[in-house]
Amino acid sequence: MLSRVAENLYWLGRYLERAENTARFINSTTQVLLDLPKDAAFGWDVLLKVAGLDDIFSEHYPQADEDSIVRFLVEDERNPSSILSGIHNARENARTVREVLPMELWERINSLYLYARDNASRASEGRGPRIEVLQGVIGRRESIIGLLTGSMSQDIAYQFIKLGRNLERADMTTRIIDVNSAVRLPRDPALAIVATERMWMSTLNGLSAYQMYRRHVSVHVRANEVVNYLMKNSHFPRTVLHCLGEVEGCLSVLPEHKDAMKKVRQAWRRVESMQLNDLKPTVLHEYLDQVQSDLGEVHTAVARQYFHLHQNNGTEQ
Amino acid sequence: MSLELHNYPQPDTYDELLDERQQPRPAARVLFDYVNRLGAKELAARRESVDAAIMAMGITFTVYSDAGNIDRAWPFDIIPRTLSSKEWARIDAGLKQRLTALNLFINDLYNEQKIVKDGIFPIEVLEGSKNFRAQCKGMVPRFGVWAHVCGTDLVRDKDGTVYVLEDNLRVPSGVSYMLENRQLMKRLFPELFKSSDILPVDDYPTQLYDTLAALSPRDAERPVIAVLTPGIYNSAYFEHSYLAQKMGAILVEGSDLVVKDDDCVYMKTISGLSRVDVIYRRIDDDFLDPEAFRPDSALGVPGLMRAWRAGNVGIANAPGAGVADDKVVYTFVPQIIKYYLDEDAILPNVPSWMCMYEDQREHVLANLDKLVVKPANESGGYGMLIGPRASEEERRQFADLIRANPRNYMAQPTLSISTAPTLIDNRLAPRHLDLRPFVLQSDKLYATTGGLTRVALREGSLIVNSSQGGGSKDTWIINTDDEEAV
Repeated sequence: MLSRVAENLYWLGRYLERAENTARFINSTTQVLLDLPKDAAFGWDVLLKVAGLDDIFSEHYPQADEDSIVRFLVEDERNPSSILSGIHNARENARTVREVLPMELWERINSLYLYARDNASRASEGRGPRIEVLQGVIGRRESIIGLLTGSMSQDIAYQFIKLGRNLERADMTTRIIDVNSAVRLPRDPALAIVATERMWMSTLNGLSAYQMYRRHVSVHVRANEVVNYLMKNSHFPRTVLHCLGEVEGCLSVLPEHKDAMKKVRQAWRRVESMQLNDLKPTVLHEYLDQVQSDLGEVHTAVARQYFHLHQNNGTEQ
Repeated sequence: MSLELHNYPQPDTYDELLDERQQPRPAARVLFDYVNRLGAKELAARRESVDAAIMAMGITFTVYSDAGNIDRAWPFDIIPRTLSSKEWARIDAGLKQRLTALNLFINDLYNEQKIVKDGIFPIEVLEGSKNFRAQCKGMVPRFGVWAHVCGTDLVRDKDGTVYVLEDNLRVPSGVSYMLENRQLMKRLFPELFKSSDILPVDDYPTQLYDTLAALSPRDAERPVIAVLTPGIYNSAYFEHSYLAQKMGAILVEGSDLVVKDDDCVYMKTISGLSRVDVIYRRIDDDFLDPEAFRPDSALGVPGLMRAWRAGNVGIANAPGAGVADDKVVYTFVPQIIKYYLDEDAILPNVPSWMCMYEDQREHVLANLDKLVVKPANESGGYGMLIGPRASEEERRQFADLIRANPRNYMAQPTLSISTAPTLIDNRLAPRHLDLRPFVLQSDKLYATTGGLTRVALREGSLIVNSSQGGGSKDTWIINTDDEEAV
């Protein structure tokens, strides 16, 4: 496998996952807003912070209101992480590696792109159309994963896509959890409890995890249990630990994986050993930051091992 | 409901599908029977689903502009162009004859130059050739073959004669569209392919693979074959990727390859460097190797020529093969065939005047309003003058260009090239077309069954290039009964 192709596949996986998760977290935030009691406050700008996009945003927009932020996250091509940019990049990447992908995959990615391009603007035409368009993105993206698992050999190319997808997914899950650390709860303790429950319910919903959580953990939605579930449950496919397991599986079939594997295990140990019983928002935020930086190290190790010949344009063996 | 052939305007030239009495030619009968059974309404419905299928299949070509690159859907006409297998057999033989002779010619030019010494091919033409590469002198590639993939453009004139318009020996493109056109037709009209004798086209990728594999310097069971592309901004990128995929070859860009001190070519993989045996390059000579050609090329691979000359990598088409892809050299092809094969050309050239010779130049300058004048080394229909359609001012400017650089120009009569019924706004209308078959040569010869039919979609237009408003059709070689065939 060419280094350049491996890198493109890896980013193909990441871009698509990022686009889907951005759709998910905008949707779950929109839901929270509909559900929160009146005096709970929520700033949309928190989405920018958890996504790490607040600087780019303020370069282009005077005001951090809901409409601007949604437009920025969904369709603004100046934002390299917007849904449309992500899908566009994924399409460009797929185009450069079409020969290693199943034919129909290109068709699906292409039609996801056409859908996003033609519908993205509707996301800022109110919350109803927004949810519908974002669901449309999520559904089409899911059909791409279905096609991959159903009709692509689990060869090296497949492993790089899967690797990118799971690293990105783990990272995005921590960010979606992080959104809640920024909600200011109502003063009234009774209302605060209701608000907290709604908030975490939306988070679970955003990650399509509510039903599984209810079945496997509890019918009650408690912050520490939800966080514990989303970080450490090894069976649900969007949890951080599960994703790390998938990453490990991918690496194990790639050549020369020692360094990257070490970083995965380091991240794994950190997540496993986290004390998530009594969570203050600031502590949680710090935890999530650490996990994100561990994931960053996994990425660096993967890039150094597999993409460097291409990146350095080097000639060494 | 018929296709209202009585409304079909009588073309003032040869029509590929209809005879002078507006009746379908033998090879087109199955098609017309079918289309008439289908009815105009159903046809229109299928016409609409074509666009959706093209969009979904992502069959595009890229038009590069200042505003960035845009993908345009491949313009496709659902009425195929038909030819009888009997006529095709003659064309097939002509194509193979031509490529065989051209390869002998190229090999001779880079070695003994016997054809020049024997006074058949003028030394001035060779000296004026932009595509002659001194860096290739003395090389004899495997089998003595330089042009492994050739796209030959054919047109038919009013009297029914099929002429060779040009030989594309550098990086001819379009074959993927030929293959995709057939896929589209099968998707849209599956019934037809069950019932009639349409010869298949889809063994091209296998044939191309075999042609390339034969060039491998190592006796490996499965040689490593790479398709070298300039990248996604190239207008033919879709095809590069498509062919790599169909052949199970690796699609590489220049930056993926490196030539080491052992003069072998390697690609950069996730587990280090790995040897490449054959490169099917889809970039021009100029950009192939900055050490040997243009030093500013970022697309190529430094040292590639070294590796090729050392016999450590096969390159198709060989560097320098373009010397025979020159509109002035073209005019000599009948003599070239005679010289090397001692045969008469099966497929005639379009009569041509060379501006380098004074008497012919005077004829051209005096008849600019009747002729098509082409520069020697342009492709894609650029830089040419279509005399009858040009203004007096344009003709005057062009005359100056010819006088300034006569070696660079040749002229031909404006052919009345053939038409075929094409679906325009749900009616059949005649549109001009050509045909580009693809011919392969290494240890053996192969020609596609048919080829890519390109059609000028604008009324009256003769320019079929996709970059200039052209589209394409599926091409059917039909097994007709012998007594019926034209």
